[in-house]
Amino acid sequence: MFLISEFRSKDALVVALLALKKAGLTPNDLAIFSEEPIEFRKGILDRPSHMSKAAVAGAVCLGTAATSFVYYAQHNYEIVTGGMPIFSFWATGIITYEMTMLGAIFATFFWFLWESGLIRKRDPAAPVPNIGPASMSLRVRCETGRADTFVEILRAAGCIKTERVK
Amino acid sequence: MAEHPELLPYGIIREDLFRPLSRAGRKWWFTVAVCFLLVLAGLAAWGVQLRDGLGVTGLNRPVFWGLYIVDFVFWIGISHAGTLISAILRLTDAAWRKPVTRAAEAITLFALMIGGLFPIIHLGRAWFFYWLIPYPNARLMWPNFRSPLVWDLTAIVTYVTGSAIYLYLPLIPDMAQLGAHNKPWRRKLYRALSLGWTGSDREWHALEMAMKLNAVIILAVAISVHTVVAWDFSMSIAPTWHSSIFGPYFVVGAIFSGIGALIIVMATLRHTLHLENYLIKRHFDNMSKLMLTMSLLWFYFTMSEHITIWYGNEPKEMAVFGQRTRGDYAFWFWTMVVVNFVIPVILLGIKKLRSIKTAVIASVGVLIGMWLERYLIVIPTLVTPRLASATSFYSPSWVELMITVATFAAMIMLYLLFARLFPIIAVWEYKPHSPEEED
Amino acid sequence: MATGNPVKPHRWGMVIDLDRCTGCEACVVACHAENNIGMSDPEEAARGRVNHWIRVDRYYEGEFPDVKVKYQPVLCQHCDEAPCEPVCPVNATYHNPEGLNVQVYNRCVGTFYCANNCPYTVRSFNWFDPKWPEPMQLQHNPDVSIRPGGVMEKCTFCIQKIKRVEEQAHAGSRPVADGEVQPACVQSCPAEAMVFGDLNDPDSKVSRFAGDGRATKLMEELGTKPKVIYLEKAR
Repeated sequence: MFLISEFRSKDALVVALLALKKAGLTPNDLAIFSEEPIEFRKGILDRPSHMSKAAVAGAVCLGTAATSFVYYAQHNYEIVTGGMPIFSFWATGIITYEMTMLGAIFATFFWFLWESGLIRKRDPAAPVPNIGPASMSLRVRCETGRADTFVEILRAAGCIKTERVK
Repeated sequence: MAEHPELLPYGIIREDLFRPLSRAGRKWWFTVAVCFLLVLAGLAAWGVQLRDGLGVTGLNRPVFWGLYIVDFVFWIGISHAGTLISAILRLTDAAWRKPVTRAAEAITLFALMIGGLFPIIHLGRAWFFYWLIPYPNARLMWPNFRSPLVWDLTAIVTYVTGSAIYLYLPLIPDMAQLGAHNKPWRRKLYRALSLGWTGSDREWHALEMAMKLNAVIILAVAISVHTVVAWDFSMSIAPTWHSSIFGPYFVVGAIFSGIGALIIVMATLRHTLHLENYLIKRHFDNMSKLMLTMSLLWFYFTMSEHITIWYGNEPKEMAVFGQRTRGDYAFWFWTMVVVNFVIPVILLGIKKLRSIKTAVIASVGVLIGMWLERYLIVIPTLVTPRLASATSFYSPSWVELMITVATFAAMIMLYLLFARLFPIIAVWEYKPHSPEEED
Repeated sequence: MATGNPVKPHRWGMVIDLDRCTGCEACVVACHAENNIGMSDPEEAARGRVNHWIRVDRYYEGEFPDVKVKYQPVLCQHCDEAPCEPVCPVNATYHNPEGLNVQVYNRCVGTFYCANNCPYTVRSFNWFDPKWPEPMQLQHNPDVSIRPGGVMEKCTFCIQKIKRVEEQAHAGSRPVADGEVQPACVQSCPAEAMVFGDLNDPDSKVSRFAGDGRATKLMEELGTKPKVIYLEKAR
């Protein structure tokens, strides 16, 4: 089941998050909804990201693919170059560079879509709270039996109200 | 209050920034209609050119590149407004950037769309432009990857893609907020564009990460794009084109004209959308200082470019140099120096004179000056080829002028449409405050 | 030169003796007739749109009445290291195995880059679809294609004539004799100022002229390695 708890203060939210984690919940069980980004210190609600690795991987992949393709194409249709080499990194370096960058752009974008969960299948049962300009909603996923404990933790931390959603 | 927009309550900010989306005044419709007619006229002129051939332009032998290439370089230059400025400001975490970035990024995307058309308009057989793209074809061959024009193609494709994504990413949260819009078609549009954004911390985290990475990438791409545009010229052996300074010279010129365009757009938005509380004097002051820096840099590059030609005294280069500084193009050359250097330095360098109005005046001058700069790079070289017997002249035809005018109209039209469809200031980014500071 | 020109029997070149050239422009007319080059009307010509594959440049020396005139026919120099070639994005201009700098009209999309990068300004563009005043359209050369508007074109050293001679020689199992190939300009030059032949054959007329003390190349300092050799005017 899910608990939806509304907060008005970031400090209260931090207290709640630390207490919930102490009670055995993982960051995967927790989600905060807000109209603007909220930044926490390290260790409160970490969301490890592999986006920069993905960007580098995408860059290397498309850059290499483009360069190999140019190499293949130049040899596939071999023109008489009058002294110039058939394939030269110098003469096609721009293409390697631009395609490397394009690879990074695409990788970042798709990784963003994936990591943010926008293109992943969502749990249809998980409720999405309505958020207003001034509020932050914390969604907690927990077993039905322990719900009371968590509601108590949330209240102690200073939430405005808590709803239970089956 | 106007000096501290950060303290405006969130509700009012949202109201202020979303309001322009719902109401379109008579002036807006009028301007869009006029621009639309001009764009149609430009398309008709292009139609004439496609039907009759490139002979309808003022081009001749040896002036094979004319107004279209000038416009191409100009618009690609304008596109540097956005992404580059917004990326630099984002990376340095300059807080004052927040109301400026989206306005700038939109300029980039539209200027690129327009600029990217010119190489196609300019083709002798425009309907075969896709022959530059590598795909298995009936000609059983690939494009020549060592041609600077193919480099150009890859650079611009990368830049357009990157800028579109860079503009789109921070739009997503705003789209989610606008998803409750009262007009059904807008609701559908905004909801589709928001990709089901819920505002969870996972999404915010990924978004900020993606913006940071994209800012770095787009900076690298933007610099390379204008370098490659410069290399279209400097890879050739034409006198004064074959210059190693052209890469950085073009990049500086591009940022210079980009800032000019951004200041004009910002002033217009402030005035027409009543954003006096958001685009405050400090923004114009900062932009003016940036422009002043670029003006000095531009002068430095122009100087070092010309003084080396003059001192080297190589006859073929001196012929072009003479055309520029005391020949047929001297008037335009010295006009360029005045509007690109003298006026900005006086208006923006003297603190007493620096204001929104003078910044706009200087910016208009810079746009004219930078357009002239490209004209003076392309044309004088071509009218004075190496063999004096081939010396020629160039004056643009009505078709070229019409298409040029149409692209300016297209820019205004696209921008006006954009400002009605999307909030021109990133609402969520404008106020990333914690709620307890609210009220 | 790792992957340069494979060794082929021929390397076509031309020698133009400026001492003999009278500037009569017969070569220009012959070239038009041979290669189906479109005619520009006077208005177009006044706008700088003349379409010639070969032109005769005039250089004046001294003050009237004591003037000396030098005539210099300029055509595509068929550079070994042609600046026009690497810049073409669609491989429309490229080096053929016999070292000729050829233009493939069907590939050309008209970017103009080749023409801008040609230091000799010998490339011409079809600003419109080509047209001929009546009855000139009846004398087209069937061996040469007519180029549509929007493509670049230039001197080919009359490649159709070269091919025909090579085929005849091949059919007769004999080598191509020196002087057998005669491009239209060479053929029509009344002063015999132009000689065409194989630069690979040390005994050919062009090779012998190429070693002459008067031999120069146009703008050799650019490193384009032209295959047209000019014999300077003797003083």
